[in-house]
Amino acid sequence: MRCQHCPPLRALQASATLSGASDEHQKEPLTPPSQQQLQSHPAGHQPEQEPQGPRPSYTGQGGQESEDYESEEQLQHRILTAALEFVPQHGWTAEAIAEGAKTLGLSVAAAGMFHSDGSELILHFVSECNAKLTELLEQEQKLVQLGEAEKKPTDEFLRDAVEARLRMLIPYIEKWPQALSVLLLPRNIPSSLSLLTSMIDDIWHYAGDQSTDFNWYTRRAVLTGIYNTTELVMLQDSSPDFEDTWRFLENRVADAMNMSNAASQVQSTGEAVVQGLMGAAVTVSN
Amino acid sequence: VYQVFESVAKKYDVMNDSMTLGIHRVWKDILVHKMNPTPGTVLLDVAGGTGDIAFRFINYVRSVRERQLQRKLKNHQSLSWQEIFESYQKDKFNSLGDSQVVVCDINREMLKVGKQKAQHLGYSEGLSWVLGNAEELPFDDDKFDVYTIAFGIRNVTRIDMALQEAYRVLKPGGRFLCLEFSHVSNPVLSRLYDLYSFQVIPVLGEVIAGDWKSYQYLVESIRQFPPQEELKAMIEDAGFFKVDYENLNFGIVAIHSGFKL
Repeated sequence: MRCQHCPPLRALQASATLSGASDEHQKEPLTPPSQQQLQSHPAGHQPEQEPQGPRPSYTGQGGQESEDYESEEQLQHRILTAALEFVPQHGWTAEAIAEGAKTLGLSVAAAGMFHSDGSELILHFVSECNAKLTELLEQEQKLVQLGEAEKKPTDEFLRDAVEARLRMLIPYIEKWPQALSVLLLPRNIPSSLSLLTSMIDDIWHYAGDQSTDFNWYTRRAVLTGIYNTTELVMLQDSSPDFEDTWRFLENRVADAMNMSNAASQVQSTGEAVVQGLMGAAVTVSN
Repeated sequence: VYQVFESVAKKYDVMNDSMTLGIHRVWKDILVHKMNPTPGTVLLDVAGGTGDIAFRFINYVRSVRERQLQRKLKNHQSLSWQEIFESYQKDKFNSLGDSQVVVCDINREMLKVGKQKAQHLGYSEGLSWVLGNAEELPFDDDKFDVYTIAFGIRNVTRIDMALQEAYRVLKPGGRFLCLEFSHVSNPVLSRLYDLYSFQVIPVLGEVIAGDWKSYQYLVESIRQFPPQEELKAMIEDAGFFKVDYENLNFGIVAIHSGFKL
């Protein structure tokens, strides 16, 4: 951001009104330069000129060129990450975002970049948690591949993955109901739904396709159901370290496994019946 | 420009109400709502002579602050009465949460009217009144969280200079907000609007404020003002990012917003 006069940064801007902008932005304001500005350009257009260095960057560097510029999106990410620290106190609100911006050395008005109901903050948090989960599962998988760990049976794997993911909510658990209601706003449903399904897909991916009894959609639906219900139980849980929640989770996963066994039994029974019929048909034809 | 507003100052508010049929209050409310200021915000309101935006800002911040304090008290349930009392005392004298407004205007008369209004309505803390020119603000760099200019920027001779000044005095992360008459794209509405502007408004000006010419000037300056996209480009040229605008009433009025990043 410090290098807002760099043409490459211009190209990153979402707005398309670049006509003539590349010349205009080199103009120096005519007010007397403050101590922070070392150079003063004459007030003409200097399109090829070096960008004026000296705006103090909040990264602490004395306004170097292209090295320390970041896109608006990266900046927004940084602000949201910084804001998470203030969520337990202020909730998922613009106030938390304002406090986060302050810690980065920005004005509290920067919170105006985001929606006032905190949607972006919550979605950012959810996607960060999902990323952390994916990393965890990736590392576990590596350990198994290296032979340093045992491959867990499916039910244990699912239980651990869901527990790990839900534990990330613990620091924010008091304000989480508020977050859930915001995620259910029609405006946010596409994003929140896609985040949820991709997380569930990730878990199944790392669980490995061991059971072919379910088809893909059923597996997704079952795990989504387990995750959502466990999350709701967790919100009401006041037991030490949420042990009631984990027990609930264990039971639900066990239910799901039993269901799959029952289905496979039905299938194998069915196969046996078909075999019998085939045998009977062959016998009869003979 | 100075003389126009000198004669207009006293009747400014009345004329605003009659010309816009009172809707200008709603527009200004929407502006402050969009700003969504948190306590501790320092606002610079340029060309804000009679203080409309400033007062709304103070009200908004006060109510946010109250809610904050209530929440704090709720979380204090485990403290002793003494501690609660002390923290309440400390916060009571900080009802604005360190928020401040500086109202800057080029015209002494407008500021005078504003100060009188403030006294009349009971606004005392967090307000300052400064005489100054939007093209050359008497402030240091990086001082303000938010810069607003409501219905003032079209009266500035060199808009690009005003925008650059806005950029200069804002802190990094600070926000620029501009509320101004703009272009109506809808052709039907545009005809009606033109009719109203050129036939009704100067007449009102004559009847209420005894000044046909100033309001003729007003209507013409609105027509000459750059439309939404052009103003957006100018704001970007001054160095602002995430520049956007919101049309109110189909484009009769637009709020432009940009950030110094």
